[in-house]
Amino acid sequence: MSTSLYPLASLPQIEKTPSREDGIPDGLEEELRAYGCKLIHEAGILLKQNQVAVATAQILFQRFWFVTSMKQFGIGDIGMGALYLASKLEECPIRIRDLINIYDLLLQRKAHIRAQAMASRLASTSAHPRTEFKYTPMSYFGNTFYELKDALVVAEMQILKRLGFNLTVVLPYNTLVNYLRVLGLTSREDVCTKAWGYLNDALQTPVYALYSVPTIVCAAILLTTRHLGIGLPSAPENCWWELFDAEWEDLWNVCGYIMRLYRERTSEDHTRVMGMVAKKGVRQWLEEHRPAGGEGH
Amino acid sequence: MDAVERANADRQKRWAKDQKIGEGTYAVVYRGREIATGRKVAIKKIKVGQFKDGLDMSAIREVKYLRELKHQNVIELLDVFSSKKNLNLVLEFLETDLELVIRDRSLVFLPADIKSWMAMTFRGLEFCHRNFILHRDLKPNNLLIAANGQLKLADFGLAREFSDPGYKMTCQVITRWYRPPELLFGCRYYSTAVDIWSVGCIFAELMLRTPYLPGESDMDQLRTTFRALGTPTEEDWPGHTKLPDYVPVGQFPKTPLRELFSAATPECLNLLTRCLTYEPRRRISAKEGLYHPYFSTHPYPTHPSKLPKPAAKMGSSLPLEELDGNTEPIGNGPGVKANPPNKLKRKLSSDDVNGSSRSIARRLDFTQHRPTAQ
Ligand SMILES: Nc1ncnc2c1ncn2[C@@H]1O[C@H](COP(=O)(O)OP(=O)(O)OP(=O)(O)O)[C@@H](O)[C@H]1O
Ligand SMILES: [Mg+2]
Repeated sequence: MSTSLYPLASLPQIEKTPSREDGIPDGLEEELRAYGCKLIHEAGILLKQNQVAVATAQILFQRFWFVTSMKQFGIGDIGMGALYLASKLEECPIRIRDLINIYDLLLQRKAHIRAQAMASRLASTSAHPRTEFKYTPMSYFGNTFYELKDALVVAEMQILKRLGFNLTVVLPYNTLVNYLRVLGLTSREDVCTKAWGYLNDALQTPVYALYSVPTIVCAAILLTTRHLGIGLPSAPENCWWELFDAEWEDLWNVCGYIMRLYRERTSEDHTRVMGMVAKKGVRQWLEEHRPAGGEGH
Repeated sequence: MDAVERANADRQKRWAKDQKIGEGTYAVVYRGREIATGRKVAIKKIKVGQFKDGLDMSAIREVKYLRELKHQNVIELLDVFSSKKNLNLVLEFLETDLELVIRDRSLVFLPADIKSWMAMTFRGLEFCHRNFILHRDLKPNNLLIAANGQLKLADFGLAREFSDPGYKMTCQVITRWYRPPELLFGCRYYSTAVDIWSVGCIFAELMLRTPYLPGESDMDQLRTTFRALGTPTEEDWPGHTKLPDYVPVGQFPKTPLRELFSAATPECLNLLTRCLTYEPRRRISAKEGLYHPYFSTHPYPTHPSKLPKPAAKMGSSLPLEELDGNTEPIGNGPGVKANPPNKLKRKLSSDDVNGSSRSIARRLDFTQHRPTAQ
């Protein structure tokens, strides 16, 4: 019971997420979700946090946006809150101070990159002098620390509350190992590594809030075997994924989510997303892109 | 207010919070009721200090695990809602706990009563373990008792999932007197057996009416344990000398349990021994425990409704608010000697203002004959 009852988003939540309801386009929401997850991942590495806690945080983060709009909460704060909460859930708590410092460092670095990119875009012809990134540590008694701490505590509570206190998360790794065994692929180290990688990359997409673990694992195996040119029985009546009760259409959708992560992005795409880590940036973007017809909220 | 806020506000409106009935490390507990039905509940308000580091880990665990566990012998979480900065857990209201029952010297336990409490403990625990959840803080004070006598595992603030067997866990769990030797030796890879040891200690305490292994420090806990059960040999417990915090604490001989528990039947002693086995892997599991002959041999377990329980204090007319000020936090863990019998920390909760619980409570004395349930 405890291992199978993890919540998935409902159809209406998927068809119209709260952010979309607020006028944030599909693609942009997807980018912001991925970016928020990347920040969680990077913070996790800098904090030397356990992978289980980081993955759990990313899944909670993805679920959160099926019940809340990015206009209401920023992806930075919620990502930080998710990592904090997941670390407690997985019994590897991190110090609030360390987490805040790491997020501050990451965001300062991103802001620097963004400023550089914008500056070089303005001065596109002349070679723009690059400045080194220099991190200015904040003071514990300064406002930034308390503001971030406050945002973090609020985010943690909001995640709990908005997910209806349902914190069950199931990670896909054990399932992958079992499926590879059934398919007789355990000896292929390249298969294991690649599939494992796809499962990790998938953490940057909403799929863990949309599909069951078996479906996601099958999608990772599908991508892997196609990529490595390994043939598995795929003729109708005798498809390998049916062994694991997965549906072709779902597999295909999951693969689509993962593949979209690898799409080429322009530097404008990057800077746009970086500017929307806080809800302030999202609101500003919405202001600037208000539909002419005035049907926005 | 968006949909989530509205749903939360609606949930909050279902419950009325009345007077405070207790306070734990991370929560204040209020008596409450369901507005529509008048059903009595306990509302546990988690303190979220402004200067603290967000939500307490125990609170998060408690919500997480109680949400998943629904069983007659596990306390029921009826609802959760948040109010501004606080988290509120709505729990079924429970009259008393096993610690108070054990300490109430006016109550006499029949072997069948002890069997009944043990059976309910094993059932609740088997359910947790079947769902891959370790309780990690079993002690009489965390076994709450409902008005109908059903015993319920409560206080999941230290609970943990164990689906991943190779996962390192903290050994700083379980109140000292109920903590198994592998944890005292710093073992970080442990499992369901830790809860079984605690159950063994509770079992012994039910028979002795006083804590079985009351160590005064972690070191003394090992000494107390070995004094009671004999120092383990390499054969009793292979590899224990290699555990991270292993220290030799002296050689104590093994005295048969029969000497201390002279009135116990062979089945009873066998189950106790199987719970208090040094080698964690050889300790009985909760499931095996349920099928142990102890439970199927005579005398049969007392029906929960017929179990002894502390009488509600008669003639208490103080308003509860006034009593509030007198609720001293009474330690029940290490370092604290057994509580004086009438400083009952749960007394307030069993003193029903309407007196409805009084009719069920019964005081027993030695002369009274109680038929055992068949
Ligand atoms: N479900 C309940 N029904 C009735 N009273 C309760 C219930 N839960 C708790 N209480 C009362 O509230 C008190 C505080 O409970 P809580 O679980 O917060 O802390 P505790 O277990 O006593 O201490 P600690 O937090 O140190 O474990 C209890 O001692 C008990 O008197
Ligand atoms: Mg307690």
